[in-house]
Amino acid sequence: MSALARRLKGLAEDVGAALLALMFATFLVQIGSRYVFNAPASWTLEACLTLWLWVVFWGCAFVLGERDHVRFDVLYVAVSRSMRRAFALVSALAIAGGMLAALPATWSYVTFYEIKRSAVIGIRLDVVFSIYLVFAVAIIARYIWRARAIVRGGDPDVEERANP
Amino acid sequence: MTLAFAACVVALFLLAGIGAPIALSMIVAAIVYLAMKGQDLGLAAEQIIQGLYDSFVILAVPLFIVAANLMNAGTISERLLQFCVAIVGRFKGGLGHVNVVASMIFAGMSGSAVADAVGIGRVIINMMTKDGRYTPGYAAAITAASSTIGPIIPPSIPMVLYALVSDASIGYLFLGGIVPGVIMGAVLMALNAMMARRYEVPLERPVPLREIPAVTVRAFPALMMPVILLVGIYGGVTTPTEAAAIAAFYALIVAAFLYRALNVATIRGVMRESARSSASVGLIIGAALIFNYIVASENIPAQVASAMQGLDISPLAFLLAINVLFLVLGCLLDASTIILVIIPLFIPTCRALGIDLVHFGIVSVVNCMIGLITPPYGVLLFVINATTGIPLRAIIAAIWPFIGVLIVALLIMILVPDIILWLPRRFGYTG
Repeated sequence: MSALARRLKGLAEDVGAALLALMFATFLVQIGSRYVFNAPASWTLEACLTLWLWVVFWGCAFVLGERDHVRFDVLYVAVSRSMRRAFALVSALAIAGGMLAALPATWSYVTFYEIKRSAVIGIRLDVVFSIYLVFAVAIIARYIWRARAIVRGGDPDVEERANP
Repeated sequence: MTLAFAACVVALFLLAGIGAPIALSMIVAAIVYLAMKGQDLGLAAEQIIQGLYDSFVILAVPLFIVAANLMNAGTISERLLQFCVAIVGRFKGGLGHVNVVASMIFAGMSGSAVADAVGIGRVIINMMTKDGRYTPGYAAAITAASSTIGPIIPPSIPMVLYALVSDASIGYLFLGGIVPGVIMGAVLMALNAMMARRYEVPLERPVPLREIPAVTVRAFPALMMPVILLVGIYGGVTTPTEAAAIAAFYALIVAAFLYRALNVATIRGVMRESARSSASVGLIIGAALIFNYIVASENIPAQVASAMQGLDISPLAFLLAINVLFLVLGCLLDASTIILVIIPLFIPTCRALGIDLVHFGIVSVVNCMIGLITPPYGVLLFVINATTGIPLRAIIAAIWPFIGVLIVALLIMILVPDIILWLPRRFGYTG
């Protein structure tokens, strides 16, 4: 991996970590406001759920590599190298194709929420949900890239070694 | 079953079978289903987003992950282990017992078997294999087996997931896990004692009694954690989700200020690691939600229920059959996938047969945890192999007796529901 790619990945990891830390801190504010100051804050729960959504899809878009996902690889590791390449190619095309097919409808689902704001904080919900679009586009791009690399003779397991 | 649903299942099995990430396979299979049904493809995104955005309960999952990683980075796990060595290390098969007891206490602080295996596993395995007293395979196997107690004694991430799909009360599920967790510990210690006698494992040098108070003081803040959690939840002070945040906060304070084992760099590492695991689990939860939506709209669980009633099967026969099925699936699938995707298929059947959902939940979670150590796909075996370098073959060769005694414990829990339900009932559970 190039130095730039490594730096970007490190940055993406820090953003994910910061989102999670913020969620944790917000949750503590919620507990504190309720039990210590006896004045429950109403915005905290919504903020936590928003941050949680972002932790998940940000992480899946930019942080998790092929190996970080839960996979059933009993068969995959047992087959020959060329079969493995075929497996990886079919997976990559199916994932990119499926997500791409659903992208227009997903886009209209998310943008539909332009008219709605969250109940307490009042953030536009299309902004809250937009991270799913980011995730969908990132997954499509990543798997097209992966398919292209495999077709060009790349080893499907190389990325995994580069990001242990 | 419609053609669209058949295509969905085929797509899922095909993609997951050739090694695509399971969560993404579920999403793609759901899109295949929606396309064949001529439904809005945006429904996949809608179910995933709303499912994750609407459930307060799910927040416990990332918080328990943070708590466990903080405890491991903050030497809390290590101190706990030293305490256990001082208390039970002196008996025959001492370090094996230490392993189990430490896992049981750790289980009261963390909700994840993998965190348990990573946290105390490596240290105890080093202690056991030093001087060749235990074979690496045996040390790894008992560590893997005792880690399965982690999510049985509360808190528990798998039980949170089960509560999500079954609507059973998390509080009562947590309570229901305490006695089964102790039983699992007991059968593992019995097996260990037997093995130690048969192979004549030499005794440890006992920690002198006068050193015990000092070791206890060092471990005391760690030992208080399960107490704080249980009192918090069952004193009615906090919800289980809040307890998860309090556990993480307590671990942070103790590790950073009392033990001085954390600095900015380690906390950054802990948060990075936790964000990574949270994202991976979160995507599985989201993907399982869209899949469950499809299964529900195909009315599959109700069909399973009526088929079972048509068979006129007794509740006990059903429970035994389902447990055999879960054990077989556990050899191949990840526990969270079984809990989120397979278990919901059978919830209506349980209701129809009058099986208590807390009883069913605990039995299923125990079963799935045994699945974590059954080859060929056993996450705990992989984790221990990765952290210690002990070959999988050696671990698998030694794991069978442990799987055997845990299945015996599972069978007892299936046959005697009162073992599980006694404690929740004392706290007002009416099931």
